[in-house]
Amino acid sequence: MATYSNQHWLLSHIRNSFISTDDTGICETVMLSDDMPKHYLRKFQTATTTMDAYRRSQRLQASHQQQRKHPEQRSAPLHQHHMMAPRIADQPLQEVDFLCYPGLDLSDDEDMDMSTHSFDIQMYPEVGAHRFRSNTAQKLEKLDIAKRKAARIKSVNYNEEVQPPDRKDFFQRKALSEPPADKPTISTKTKTTTTLTKSATTTTSTKSSSDDDLSDRGVRSMLTEQLARSPKQTQNRFIEYARFDGTAQVGMPTKRINVYVNMLPEPERNYPLKICVLATAKIIEVIGLVCYKTTLQYTDAVQLKSVQHYALYMTEDNDDMEDFPPLDNREPCSKFGFSHLTLAERRPLAPVTRIDYQLGTKSMTSEEDKVAMADAAVHALQHINLNGDVPDSPLDQVKEYEQRLLNHNDMLEAPMHRTYRLTIIDKRFFKSDVTLAVSGERIEIDQHKNTKFWTNRKPVSTPIDLVAHCEIVEQRQLKAVLRIWLKSNSSSGIATSCTSAPSGSTATLSGSNVGGGFGHSPSSPRHSSGSSSSSPFGLFSSVASIRFKHYDFDTDVHTAEQIRNKLNCILEMRASDIRREFLHQRERKQEKHLAKRPLKL
Amino acid sequence: MEATEDQLILATGGYDHTIKVWQTSTGNCIKTMRFVETSQVNALDRTPDKTRLAACGYQCIRLYDLDSNCTAPVINFDAVQKNVTRLGFQEDGKWMFTAGEDHRVRIWDMISAPPHCSRVFDCQAPVNAACLHPNQVEIAMGSQNGGVYLWDVKSELHEQLVPELEASIQDVAISPDGHYMAAANNKGNCYIWELSISPGQMLSTINPKKMIQAHNRSILRCKFSPDSRLLVTTSGNGSACIWKTGDFSKWRELTIKNYWIWDAAFSADSKLLFTASSDGVARLWKLETKTCEREYTGHSKAITALSFNDETFD
Repeated sequence: MATYSNQHWLLSHIRNSFISTDDTGICETVMLSDDMPKHYLRKFQTATTTMDAYRRSQRLQASHQQQRKHPEQRSAPLHQHHMMAPRIADQPLQEVDFLCYPGLDLSDDEDMDMSTHSFDIQMYPEVGAHRFRSNTAQKLEKLDIAKRKAARIKSVNYNEEVQPPDRKDFFQRKALSEPPADKPTISTKTKTTTTLTKSATTTTSTKSSSDDDLSDRGVRSMLTEQLARSPKQTQNRFIEYARFDGTAQVGMPTKRINVYVNMLPEPERNYPLKICVLATAKIIEVIGLVCYKTTLQYTDAVQLKSVQHYALYMTEDNDDMEDFPPLDNREPCSKFGFSHLTLAERRPLAPVTRIDYQLGTKSMTSEEDKVAMADAAVHALQHINLNGDVPDSPLDQVKEYEQRLLNHNDMLEAPMHRTYRLTIIDKRFFKSDVTLAVSGERIEIDQHKNTKFWTNRKPVSTPIDLVAHCEIVEQRQLKAVLRIWLKSNSSSGIATSCTSAPSGSTATLSGSNVGGGFGHSPSSPRHSSGSSSSSPFGLFSSVASIRFKHYDFDTDVHTAEQIRNKLNCILEMRASDIRREFLHQRERKQEKHLAKRPLKL
Repeated sequence: MEATEDQLILATGGYDHTIKVWQTSTGNCIKTMRFVETSQVNALDRTPDKTRLAACGYQCIRLYDLDSNCTAPVINFDAVQKNVTRLGFQEDGKWMFTAGEDHRVRIWDMISAPPHCSRVFDCQAPVNAACLHPNQVEIAMGSQNGGVYLWDVKSELHEQLVPELEASIQDVAISPDGHYMAAANNKGNCYIWELSISPGQMLSTINPKKMIQAHNRSILRCKFSPDSRLLVTTSGNGSACIWKTGDFSKWRELTIKNYWIWDAAFSADSKLLFTASSDGVARLWKLETKTCEREYTGHSKAITALSFNDETFD
């Protein structure tokens, strides 16, 4: 193969190898801006003037892809038909010869064709310098261990012949103390005491039993005594995480990690806590288990707060914390290959959140964003004060309640990018699986690829400024219907930024068609433009004719609440006019509704 | 009494093939023992000297040493057929009884080494439950075809009753004062008999006392409290009912919604009750207030058996 003479291939290969062997889980974040193969490709392709037709077409394709997709790890040999390109292998190296290696960057269209996919490269920590031992060798060793163990176990044959006991007194009937028929039982132990006390206890017990036949009989249980001595507060607060202890489970994959606990005082802090955790546990659960083990091992050393206050950071084995963001609470711990980690207080706001490769958008919370966010928060607070003048309206009560729900942590975490898997309810009837991504800048809805019957829809991305409100409209025992209200893009104004949203009926996610959307949502606060004149906020008369559409999602109650709180928290902090207008319209609608009622009666 | 607090432990076993030993006051799991990988734990009992824990399940009976750090069994029964549903010890630990779906209840001489079988009783149907009379020689048994048996192991006399046709007996119990025998079936009914014996008699006389429609679904366990004044029935409808044995009226009802309560055990003063349920949590209830005092979490699947041996102070 001629691949080793191609710089583009070599650079891509080095890059991909690094990514695939990285176990920090965040290398993509760090390396995003340093995509050297692409960088060179772009640079030299513009410089090249004499290219044959084949190269030109490749370049076109490549430059087209640059805007679209991050390179994924794919094996080149699948595209060998491309390699028939004319090329001189031993040409002297010139800058203009930085050729695109065919097939390294694939267009999205080929994603549809499952046959082009290669398996993800996976590294197993066990594969180091040693290869796996054969199955037979492992089996033999297991058998050997089992045999040695069995030698210490006494064995009894269940089906053996019956051998009646030799001794006559083997089965001995025990005489039961016959209690007096009219008096309740007294324990045999009381009987051994002197007759005087015996009669005393008997009388007291009879007396008390006449009051309540389940009264105390003077039997003192050790368990009751023990419980009385150890009040419930002494129970470990992190006990719910005890079930993730890998040593307490049988036959489940586990993971051993050494964790430095930063909150401990000086000598203890320098030695890692060795924990064994279920491989399926999420990072937040690992944190819980570490807290549990810490409180067990160092009972009085430290007073720990709730798990939300702590985070796991990458660390060297000399317990120096590295300057990386903490491990994602939602990821399973098996994803990370660290042997040493540090548990420390969560740092205020992670500088980098997460990058969504699916849609090629990144949601980095940069310094400017932080400033903007802070401004928005201040704005929101002022806004709340203004609204506080009308405390009796039910909406304000809801708001107040919501506000109370949003604690400091929620506020910090709300703008972070997060994806959820939900089912979108399309035109009240059809359901399809989608991924909903919520971040401080936008919400994105992307349909899953595996949907069979309906034409695939393009992902919808809506800037957060167009989102008005999020609510749970229907709640059953396990399932809930979540509704996200946003500005209908049919009206003018800011809607231009909503271009990626589907238009027309073919690509309509629920209610994106204005008429249809309102048709099936009787509660939607659509108003004629005339009604806007009654708005007490003269300021918003320009946006008063805004119409709203909504997406409905079917999901479990917990996820629905999570999304609702997160999204509303973002919206509260931004305090956009859209949201205000939406809530205002709705309020008016409710008032109207209430006003109409007595008339009907 | 020489019992120390270390011995005051709760043992639980379930569908996750493990047996866990808990410190009762803190809820911390002290020890996890591996049970057979193909079986749930049907019943647990501690030897009277508190050093060993016996467990039975599908095709297995095992005894574990509680004092050592070893989590492997010390005694293993080979060639066990079908489920072994109950086991228990004579109060001095001289012998152990096991009841199984192979229709047989066996008595095992535990003094001789290795243990050997010294009595067998054939119920002619899978045996779901067995319980030792406080007189230490009579055993009550309940079978899947609805039969309730009382068997004197010494004289090998027995008596059979069928309280309800086409109902499987799920559990049997005899009150610690020897007055009552209870049998609970899969229709949710609990039958109570009065037991009496005169000197020289080999087998207790059984007199029907009462039938309680305790639950609307199958009862899983019934047990008398140490003071014989209470009877608990646990069921697949997520509730445990506590009945007063004075008139067999319902006194308390504990509920764990949507889960099965598989087993229960009283404290020595009959004021607290442990429950084992299918949500994988063992709970300790204060009966007076119906409040849950402690939770024991750690099992990854349903808990089907528990064992607790309390101590009394003099």
